[in-house]
Amino acid sequence: MSLDTRKTRVGTAPANTPRVTSPHPAYQKRMRLADSLQILCIASVAIVIAIFLADGGAAKFGTPADAFTSLGIIAGLVGTDLLLIMLVLAARLPPIDRAFGHDQAMAVHQSLGKPALYLILGHAALLITGYSLAENVNVVVETWNMFTTLPDMPLAFLGLALMIGVVITSLVVVRRKFRYEAWHAVHLLAYFSVLVAIPHQLSVGGLLRDGAIARYYWLALYAAVAGSIIVFRFLLPVIRSLRHRLVVDRVDAVAPGVASITLTGRKLDRLRATSGQFFVWRFWADGLWWQAHPFSLSSAPSARGLRITVRGLGDASKQLPHVKRGTRVSFEGPYGLFTENARTLLRVVLIAAGIGVAPIRSLLETVSFAPGNATVLLRSHSLGDTYLVDELTDLCRRRGAELRIIAGKRPKGVSTWLPADAVSAGISLSTIVPELESSDIYICGPRPWTDAVVRDARSAGVPKKQIHYERFDW
Amino acid sequence: MRARAVALATLASVSIVGIGWQLGSSAIEASQSLTASSGGTAMAATVTATTDAAARAAAAAKGAADVAAAAKAQADTANTAASAQAAADAAAANAAAAAQAAATAAAATAAQAAAQSGTFTGAVVQTQYGNMQVSVTIANGAITEVLPLQLTNRGGRSVGISNQAAPILRSEVLTAQSAKVQNVSGATYTSEGYLRSLQSALDTAGF
Repeated sequence: MSLDTRKTRVGTAPANTPRVTSPHPAYQKRMRLADSLQILCIASVAIVIAIFLADGGAAKFGTPADAFTSLGIIAGLVGTDLLLIMLVLAARLPPIDRAFGHDQAMAVHQSLGKPALYLILGHAALLITGYSLAENVNVVVETWNMFTTLPDMPLAFLGLALMIGVVITSLVVVRRKFRYEAWHAVHLLAYFSVLVAIPHQLSVGGLLRDGAIARYYWLALYAAVAGSIIVFRFLLPVIRSLRHRLVVDRVDAVAPGVASITLTGRKLDRLRATSGQFFVWRFWADGLWWQAHPFSLSSAPSARGLRITVRGLGDASKQLPHVKRGTRVSFEGPYGLFTENARTLLRVVLIAAGIGVAPIRSLLETVSFAPGNATVLLRSHSLGDTYLVDELTDLCRRRGAELRIIAGKRPKGVSTWLPADAVSAGISLSTIVPELESSDIYICGPRPWTDAVVRDARSAGVPKKQIHYERFDW
Repeated sequence: MRARAVALATLASVSIVGIGWQLGSSAIEASQSLTASSGGTAMAATVTATTDAAARAAAAAKGAADVAAAAKAQADTANTAASAQAAADAAAANAAAAAQAAATAAAATAAQAAAQSGTFTGAVVQTQYGNMQVSVTIANGAITEVLPLQLTNRGGRSVGISNQAAPILRSEVLTAQSAKVQNVSGATYTSEGYLRSLQSALDTAGF
């Protein structure tokens, strides 16, 4: 391991340093928002159960047929509520992004997928059983009866089939076999499957009958979810792209295959982007326009321009370092909580590997800390293959942060984020960074490496809320 | 989630579900008292139109129903399941017969005075899937509206069937101008109950 501190090490900390263990002001505000959103989610499940009970549901458990039917109705209500929550989580609502960050919201979205599907499948199975018991026919006949005699049931069965397809293609094992674009196209069918299920909810079963208050609540819920998807997922990005008119202003080669792209546009301060956030970019050039890519800002955004630093890895992004000046760029964003907003304490540690240095570089520019209270760790195979080192060195000097470059190959067969010699010397995150447990740790790099850093920090006793990272793989 | 978020969410959920439960139990009580009262009026037709004959018929029917109700109450206090059932059945049969007679008499009287105008409530017809009751509006000798007052609602499925079948039956009745229309397929019980209740209302009206 070679340690290179580039003379950024700050001398002894002044005697009157602020109490570094006191919480960061952003934390309480963000947690209040997070609490309210979580309470809202759970209350929405309680509301649908209350709707069932308010209709006299508690009395409908007397016979096996009634019990199956009632449980089926509850499963359908709760399952649909979860589906709507999933849609909201994927709608990129600003409050959700501010409270949890895009990737955390998507992680919850992903974890709700299977429970929602099981509840909807249970809804179908329980109701078929309940109805067939009530009518003394077998389940096959009952399913056929439902399909042919009940209003809107063919559509509901179609919705169920689509939903099964969407969840199966999203299972990690299956998902790996698809291109992102193909998988995403299938995934968008989820919107359709939710829509085609609406008619049967209103026409079959008396719970949401015409004139019932529950019907209006239910419809308002759907309207709110549809509205937020249309506005924040589709309209807002288009409006922003048109309004801000981003174009490529300059492309600076950083290393072979790596370039910093500066974009200019109108009134960019209105975007309220902050360091460490990402946008989903679409470059309107031959061979690039059909794919959108998430890239983080690599310097603090200003009214004049935004800068990203990209490494051509994917099929189309290989061409990105060669994009021409003046190319129009549309975008979705800014998104993400890899920002000052995620802070919990007054000390900060920034850890980057590879092109993960981009958001770390912009964070270092604006994240708040008193001189001496920040450490930047840059991890690479060798001292030569690091990006933006000169910029980092300069910023560290100006702001009073310590920069350490940790170079060397990882040992084979051991899961660690450090070089082989560091591991054998018993070095870990807590031995490199002073007062680690009272710091916010920002980590950006390849996923397995990030996981290894997170494990190291956790085993050093750092609480989860102080560890910040974002995942970009789908 | 933070502990305070968990606590608040639990509190909110419990109170929301509690409110739902409260609303539900009052709804259940209301529907039970409704069933009890409609049990008494078994096959009686109540008439909201006010001609003397019809009013008299109604009074007679109501009287019969009261007898039935009283008998039923008596039977309940007797507390022996078998005899209670028998007594109630007998009383109900009596009441039904009386009501039928009253209704027929009313119909006969009404027929002489030609069909009346007004809104007539049909009998409550008990089916395997719950009670069925409709009202019919007659104006100038024509059926102008049929409204369901109670639809078969035992289990979500039969509610769905009722909701689907009722509008079809209504439009068929308005076209045919009688209760002699075809059952809606897949909704046999609903159709039979609907048309029987309608017929009783039409009988009352002397239509």
